[in-house]
Amino acid sequence: MRTFDYFKPVCVEEALFLLNKFADKSKLVAGGTDVMVQWKKRIISPVALISLRNIPELNFIRMNDCLEIGSATTHRSLELSADIKSKFPAIYDAVSNIGSVQVRNSATIGGNLCNAAPSADSAPPMLVLDTGVNIVSSDGQRSIPIDQFFKGPGKTVVQPNEVVKSFSIATPPENTGMAYWKHTRRSAMDLPILGVAVLLSFDEDIKTCVKARIGLSVVAPTPIRARKAEEFLLGNVVNEASLDEAGKIAASECSPRTTIRGSDWYRREMARVLVKRVGLISTERASHFSKLES
Amino acid sequence: MKRSISFSVNGDTVQVEVHPHWNLLRVLREELELTGAKQGCGEGECGACTVLVNGLPINSCIYPIMEVEGKDVLTIEGLASRDGALHPVQEAFLEKAGVQCGFCTPGMIMSAKALLDANPDPDEEEIRQALAGNMCRCTGYIQIIESVKHAAALLSSIEQEA
Amino acid sequence: MGERLMDELFVGKSFARMDKDKVIGRANFINDITLPRMLHAKILYSARPHARIKSIDTSKAEKLMGVRAVLTGFNVPEVKVGFLGDQTPLKKDKVRQFRDEVAAVAAIDEDTAEEALDLIKVEYEDLPAVYDPIEAMKPDAPLVHEFDARGKPRRNNLLPLPWKLEAGDVRKARESSKYVVKDRFSTQWVHQTCMGTSGGIAEFDVNGNLIFRSVTNVPFGGKDRLDMFLKNLGLKGRSRVLTPYVGGSFGSKLDTDIYEFILVLLAWKTGCPVKIVFSRKEEFLASPPRQPVIATVEQGCDSNGRLTFRNIDMILDNGAYTSWGATTPSVMMIPVSSLYRVPNVKFQATCVYTNNIYAQAMRGYGNPQATFVIEQSMDQLAEASGIDAIEFRKINANVPYEKTPMDLKITTCPMSECLEIVEKRLNWSEKRNQKTSRGVGVASFLHVGGGARVYLSDAQGIIMKVDDEGKVTVITGGTDQGQGSETIIKQMVAEATGFRPEDVSIFQGDTEVCPWDVGTHASRHAFITGHAVLLAGADVKRKVLDLAARWMPEMIRFDLSKRARKDPNFQVPLLDFSPLMDTNNLELRNAEVFLKDDPENKHFRLPVAKILRRAHLVGTGKGEMVVAEAFYDPPNEMLNREGKGNLSCCYTFGAHGVEVEVDEETGLVTILNYVAAHDVGRAINPMLVKGQIYGATVMGCGYALTEEIQTNHGRVMNPNLLDYKILTAKDKIPIDPVIVEPIEPSGPFGAKGIGEPACVPSAPAIVNAIYDAVGVRIKDLPVTPEKLLKAIKEKKAKEQ
Repeated sequence: MRTFDYFKPVCVEEALFLLNKFADKSKLVAGGTDVMVQWKKRIISPVALISLRNIPELNFIRMNDCLEIGSATTHRSLELSADIKSKFPAIYDAVSNIGSVQVRNSATIGGNLCNAAPSADSAPPMLVLDTGVNIVSSDGQRSIPIDQFFKGPGKTVVQPNEVVKSFSIATPPENTGMAYWKHTRRSAMDLPILGVAVLLSFDEDIKTCVKARIGLSVVAPTPIRARKAEEFLLGNVVNEASLDEAGKIAASECSPRTTIRGSDWYRREMARVLVKRVGLISTERASHFSKLES
Repeated sequence: MKRSISFSVNGDTVQVEVHPHWNLLRVLREELELTGAKQGCGEGECGACTVLVNGLPINSCIYPIMEVEGKDVLTIEGLASRDGALHPVQEAFLEKAGVQCGFCTPGMIMSAKALLDANPDPDEEEIRQALAGNMCRCTGYIQIIESVKHAAALLSSIEQEA
Repeated sequence: MGERLMDELFVGKSFARMDKDKVIGRANFINDITLPRMLHAKILYSARPHARIKSIDTSKAEKLMGVRAVLTGFNVPEVKVGFLGDQTPLKKDKVRQFRDEVAAVAAIDEDTAEEALDLIKVEYEDLPAVYDPIEAMKPDAPLVHEFDARGKPRRNNLLPLPWKLEAGDVRKARESSKYVVKDRFSTQWVHQTCMGTSGGIAEFDVNGNLIFRSVTNVPFGGKDRLDMFLKNLGLKGRSRVLTPYVGGSFGSKLDTDIYEFILVLLAWKTGCPVKIVFSRKEEFLASPPRQPVIATVEQGCDSNGRLTFRNIDMILDNGAYTSWGATTPSVMMIPVSSLYRVPNVKFQATCVYTNNIYAQAMRGYGNPQATFVIEQSMDQLAEASGIDAIEFRKINANVPYEKTPMDLKITTCPMSECLEIVEKRLNWSEKRNQKTSRGVGVASFLHVGGGARVYLSDAQGIIMKVDDEGKVTVITGGTDQGQGSETIIKQMVAEATGFRPEDVSIFQGDTEVCPWDVGTHASRHAFITGHAVLLAGADVKRKVLDLAARWMPEMIRFDLSKRARKDPNFQVPLLDFSPLMDTNNLELRNAEVFLKDDPENKHFRLPVAKILRRAHLVGTGKGEMVVAEAFYDPPNEMLNREGKGNLSCCYTFGAHGVEVEVDEETGLVTILNYVAAHDVGRAINPMLVKGQIYGATVMGCGYALTEEIQTNHGRVMNPNLLDYKILTAKDKIPIDPVIVEPIEPSGPFGAKGIGEPACVPSAPAIVNAIYDAVGVRIKDLPVTPEKLLKAIKEKKAKEQ
C-alpha cells in the first residue's frame, strides 16, 4: 500500500533530527493543504511526513522593533492579527485572499513560500518588505534575504536538512504605504493571473519616493522584484504619470508564460496596469498613515 | 502500519486505528460512519467536507488524520441537540431555503456556524467571505446568505431570552 | 382546474424546506451507501484521443491481491449502448476520445482498484484526430466512426440527425426587409458541475435481477436501458432502479452513463455489489457536458421594427459519441422559431462527430445557446433600425394565445410585462447609451412550461394512500434533485386533499414500487406532479368523505352514549344526523371531516384518523381503505417530421436585465444590478421559485463570464474546481427576482415549470450590457477578461 509515516515533532531540534534521519525520503508538512494534495495526486511519495504543526517556536507573530513571523503560522492567524492589518497591510491583503477560511485555518505562510509556486500569494508582499528568511539546520542557523530565496518553480535555497524557522521584517520607515493586489477571474478560490505588491516610502511631503519595492508573481519562474521600475521611482515624485511609467518598466521586466490561466501578453499588460494601481493604493495608504500619525 | 489515535467527535471520545496517510474525512465517513461531511473534490476546493476542529472550520478531505489526535471535532451530526432539536443555523437553512440538493449543505452549515461563533452579527460581505470556500451549484448563494442572517437573528433572540 | 382557488391554504405560500435530513447530515447520497460484500470499481480511460487498441495486458492487475475482476472489451460481450448505439461500454477496436473506457476493475477497496489500474498496460496505435467540428465536416477529415451501429460504412462525421425547421418564405422576407443583420456566434463547452459527483451501485439479487442504485433523474428510462442491456448480455433478469438523494443534476443525469453499464458488467462478473463514485477529476473528464455551437444568424425587420425573418444555421460539436446533446436542437427550435413574433423562419442544425469529449444535455437543453445567438442578433438589429433595444423587443414581443411558426400554441404570456419590469427596475432610459464603462443590457426567453413531449408519453403516475393515523403517503415516480419537490408536493397534496403538509410523506426512488414517470426533466416536475396530485387528491378526498358519510353518524352516536355512561350529568343532545350521511355536505380540512355548512358544529367533526380506523377495523363485515391513483399525461404534442407541433401545453416567458461595469484596463466585468423577471404562471412556493431563479441565473452568469472546459487536442486541461470556475459566494450577483403570475389555465393551481429557464437569458443579457458599456460585442463565450480587453484595444486602435 502506498502510505507514509507521520511524525509530529514538538520542537525544532526534534524536527531536524527526523530530517537528518529520513533525509530525502522525508517531506516537511505544515498545514498540509499543498502536501496532502500533492500526495493524493502522486506528485510526491515520501516515506515520512514531518509535521511542523505542533512546534510552538514556529507558530507566532511577534512585533517588537521588527516583525517576526513563525513559519508555521497560519494565514488565518495573520489575517486576524490587528497588527498585521494595520502595520503590514500588504501581508493582510495577501493572506486574507488565499483559498478559503478552511484553507487559511490550516495553510501556513512558511508552507506557501517554501512550496515556491510562481503564483504564491504571500511572496510579493514578503519581497517588497525585504523579508529575511531564518533557516536552521543541525549545523546552525542562517538568514537570507527573500529575494534570494526562490530558485525556480517549486524550488528554494532550503536544503534537505534545513527548516525555515521564521521571517523577519523590519518595521518600515514613516510615510510608507504598501498593498497587494491579486488579479483573478473569480472573487475567491482562485490563483492569481498576476499578483502585485508595491511598497513606497516617501519623504515628509508624501510625494518624493525614498524607497520603492515592487513584487510580482506569476510573471516569471519565481516571484520577482521589478528592480528597474523600483529604480525609476526612487527619488522621483510619485503620481499617476510616474506610476504609469513604472508599470511600463515593470511589464518589460516580466517574462510570463501562456497557460490555461492566462496569456503572456495579458499578464504583461496586467503588470503594467496593476503596478500603477497598486502603487496608487500604496501612495494613498502612506498619506493616510502620515495623517494618522501627525 | 496502522496507528491508534484518540480524539473527540461530537462530544464522544473515540479511539481509531488509522493509516497515517488517511485524512480526517475518510476516518469520519468510513471508520466512524459519520457520512454527513461529503467529499466533493478531495482537494480542498469545494468545502463539502468542512468540519470544525477545535472550533475552526477546515477541509477534512486534506486534513491529516494524525493531526487530529487529542482534538475536538464537530461534524454536522453533532450540531443538533441530542433530543433532536435543530441548531438555529440548521433551522434557518430550512426556513430560508438555504438548502437545495443538500450536498454542500453540511459543510456550508459548519462554516456558517463557525462564522457566527466568532461574529454573531455578520454583514453580507462578511458572510460571503466566510462561505467563499463552500461551493454550491444549486442556490446561487443568495438564500444561503439569507439563511445565515436569519440564523444570526435566531441566535441573538435566544441569547436575549436567556 | 387552472382557476385560482380563492381560499387556498397552502399553495402560494413560502413554506420552509421540509427536507430536514439534509441539514442534519442524514440525507444519504450514493457516496454514503455501503452494502455488505460491496466491491469498488475504477475505470481506466484512454491515454490517446484517437487510436487503435493493439493490445491490453491485464495479467498483472488480475494477480493483485484484492482484485476481483478486470474487464476489457475483450472479455465481455460486445453490446452497443447509447442513443445511436454508437459505442460499447468498454472499447475494443479503437478509442475515439480521452474519456473512452478501456478497462474496468472491481476490488475490495478503492486503493486496490486504483493500484490495479496502474498495472494495466495498453498498447495504442495513434490515428489522426479531429477536434474542430468544421474541420470534421471536411471530406478528407479522419473518420471518428468508420461504421454505424448497424455495421454500415460511414462516409463522413455527420450524425444522421438532420435537424430542420422551415416556416414561411425566408428568401422573400429578406428581400422585403428594411434592415437585415447577419453575424456568427459561438459558445463553449460547459460542465454541469454538480457538487455531488456521479456514482452508482449495481448488484444482482439471488434471482438474477439487477438492483441498481443510481443518480438518474429518469429512473424508468434508466430501467428500460438497463433491461435492454441485460437482455443483450443474454441475461434473464430484470432491473430495479433505486434513486437515493442526488447531489445536483442539471441535465447530467438524463442518460444512462457508460460507467453504469460497466458497473452492471462488474456486478455480473463478481456476483457482488459494485460501487463507483467519480473523483472530481473523473467528473470533469468523463461525464458529458453541454456542447458548443457555432451559429450563423441572419434576421431582418421592416421600417417599423417588426421582425420579418430569422435564418439560423448551427453546427454542434457532438464529441465522439451520441447522447442527448445531439437532440438539443429540438428545443433550440423553440426560441429560434418563437422567441418574439417572427413570421418567416429557417433553422438547420448539424451535429458533428469529433474526437472530443461527448455532449449531454444541460439545464435549458439547447435554449441557452440558441437564445445567446438570437438575443445578440436582436440587439444588432435594434441598433441597425435605430430603435431602443427594449422598445424593439416590445414591438416584437410574444402575445397571449397565439400560434407560432413552429405551431407552438402560446397561452398566457406576460413577456411585455417582464420587459417593462426590467426597463423600470434597471432605470433603463437613464442608464442606456451612456458609454461610460457602465452599461445595461437585456435578453428575453421562452421555454417549455408544461412539460415537453419528447417521448411518446409525457406522463407521471402517482399513488396516494391514507392510513389510520390520518397520514397521507404519496408514492411518485418523480425524483428530487434539490429543487424542493418534497416541499411543494406536500403543499399541493394538502391543498388538494384537505390534509396538512405535515400529514403528508413522500415515497419516491424505487421503480419496483413507484408508478411510472417519464423523468424529472424539461422543467416538468412541479407541473406534471401538480396535475397528478390534483387528480389523485380529489379522489382521496372523495373516498375519505364517502367513508365519513358512512361511518360518522354511528361513531358520533357511540361517542356520545359512551360519554353519557361515564358522566351521569351529561345530556346526550338531540342531533339530526341526516346531513352527515351525504358526502356532498361534508368537507375535509386539517385532516378533519366536518359539515360544510356548519363548520362550527363541534359534534359533527371527526379526525380522519378515527374514521379510517373505523373503516379498517370493522370486526365482522367489509372493511375499506383509501388509496387513489392518477396517471397524468398533459395535452402536449410530439414534433412532426417538419419539426412542428405544440411540444408543451404552455410556455414560460421572462426577461433579464443587467447593469455591468467594465474595467477597460483589465477586461474584468462586474455585475452591478440584475433584474430577473419571470412568468411562473403561479408560484406554488414563492421562496422556492426564487431559489430556482437565483441558482439558474448565477449558473447563467458563470456561462457568460467564467466557465469553460478548456481542451488541448481533445484533452481536458482544467478538470478541477480551481480552473473550472463556477462562481463562489464571494462573486456577488445582486439579483432582483420578480415573479409574474398570470395564472396559467393549463397549469396545476395555475403554475408553469420554472426549473431551467433562468439560466437561458443571462449570457446574452450580459454580453449586450457589455456592448452598451464599451461598444464591443464578444461573440464567443465566455467573455474572458483577455477577450474583452483585446476587443477594447482593437476598437480603440481603430478609432485613432
